[in-house]
Amino acid sequence: MLEYLSFGLIVQLLVNGILFGTMYGIAAIGLSLIFGTMRIIFIAQGTMIIFLAYVCYWLFRLLGIDPYLSLILVVPLSLLLGTGFYQTLFKEAAALEDKNISLLIAIGLMFFMENFMTVIWTGNPRSILTTYTSLVFRPLGIDLTFTRLIALLMAILSTVGVILFLKKTLIGMAVRAASEDMVSATLMGIDPHRVNAVAFAIGIGLAGVAGVSLATIYPFDPFYGFIFVLKALISLALGGIGNVLGALLGGIILGLLESLASFFLSGGWSDAISYAVFLLVLMFKPEGLFVRSVQKA
Amino acid sequence: MENHLLEVKGVDVLYGDVQAVWDISIDVDEGAIVALVGANGAGKTTLLKTISGILRAKRGEILFLGKSLTKIRPQEVVDAGVSHVPEGRRLFSKLTVFENLRLGAYPPRARPLFAQSLERAYGLFPVLRERKNQTAGSLSGGEQQMLAIGRALMARPHLLMLDEPSLGLSPLFVRAMFELIGTLNEQKVTILLVEQNIHQALKIAHWAYVLKTGRIAMSGRGDELLANAEIQNAYIGRRRSKSLPVL
Repeated sequence: MLEYLSFGLIVQLLVNGILFGTMYGIAAIGLSLIFGTMRIIFIAQGTMIIFLAYVCYWLFRLLGIDPYLSLILVVPLSLLLGTGFYQTLFKEAAALEDKNISLLIAIGLMFFMENFMTVIWTGNPRSILTTYTSLVFRPLGIDLTFTRLIALLMAILSTVGVILFLKKTLIGMAVRAASEDMVSATLMGIDPHRVNAVAFAIGIGLAGVAGVSLATIYPFDPFYGFIFVLKALISLALGGIGNVLGALLGGIILGLLESLASFFLSGGWSDAISYAVFLLVLMFKPEGLFVRSVQKA
Repeated sequence: MENHLLEVKGVDVLYGDVQAVWDISIDVDEGAIVALVGANGAGKTTLLKTISGILRAKRGEILFLGKSLTKIRPQEVVDAGVSHVPEGRRLFSKLTVFENLRLGAYPPRARPLFAQSLERAYGLFPVLRERKNQTAGSLSGGEQQMLAIGRALMARPHLLMLDEPSLGLSPLFVRAMFELIGTLNEQKVTILLVEQNIHQALKIAHWAYVLKTGRIAMSGRGDELLANAEIQNAYIGRRRSKSLPVL
């Protein structure tokens, strides 16, 4: 195998890793936001991504809407879905001291969605084939798939969007404040349900973006979401909880790792290594790779 | 009396399964400084948390400007005009000084006054203006306490509740803190003060309640209680003999 190794091939592996990793990254940002205010790992995040990939698929197959154009429907739909899920499923449980209830609801939601999707779309993989699915650019001999480039672009735009929202708007500041200290936030007049609903809306909104990206690049089936959320969880651990840019970078690091491991070792090793890294980071750098040290004033 | 800003009437509060406050009644008059003093675990913090809505009273009633606060949530209490600076300050340490102040003005009633309130906060604490783009976590203890009070004032409170504002501060800052409480009071802010620093608190308070194991043991004018031999022996004397602050 090593005789094929060239500089170009290494660059190709790195590029693929980065492009795929951005999808883990935006899923991880969603996890980070929801964890921030709700204090639960929203385990159904990956399944939501798959569900929204199916929505994109249906819009394409049934109505002939271009996947990228469908973003203008999928993103508002997913924002609404996020708020709706919070109001109907999580609102009561969020007020409880015991966060396990919310976590169990999320697990229940994941299994329900998986089976619901299997009923509607069967367990067979689906994919979207458009005129540009196999479009490839070759600058400097490196293959750049069009759909992956768009996925990268969407990931960067949505990360910047989320950062601006959190930094510049009053409700965004309230979400950050509530993530740090919910009781203190309520003393400022912040309604916990409001910030939870906003975090959910944005989290699922990002799942919409990730779903469209995924649908244009890979075949997907109803059960892929669980693996996806595990990868997003690893990205989150790498980037550090509560760090939006860190989550994206964590996803990219994981993408690189998987890309290199699956080439030099095997697909099986790639997953084993991912989870080993997850454990190592949690053991030795639980605050994430991008935090210098925990400062206590 | 007609000019009670806050009336707490016969309040019982449970902390988990343990009753922390028993049948407490206090009045806070408009424009006054009222102190709640007593040993650790006497129920002072619990009472403040109940007024601000973090905890619920099991029995009794809390009236503010004649309206009941008993059943409403913390975010509505602050909008009604009661700001609570909790023990340990509870700043948003990863947010900047400016962002902390911005969130202080979150209640709907305070939002239109944000620019004016900000100028007032920076006027009271010029150091906050200098540090406005620093994270709150990077401030010194004294600066953090200023920010906590500045943040609470951003909500335009009629009543400011301070829980242990001098805790963990250097003697210099402790003196500055009590001077500040006096200044705020001159600016027509009514203050309900919980303090371990009993001597200083009684000196500044117009009226004080002494709490003991969840009940009111005594009440009176600050200077009267300060002269009271029982209090001298029970609290002030003992504190002087200990060099470490009570945490």
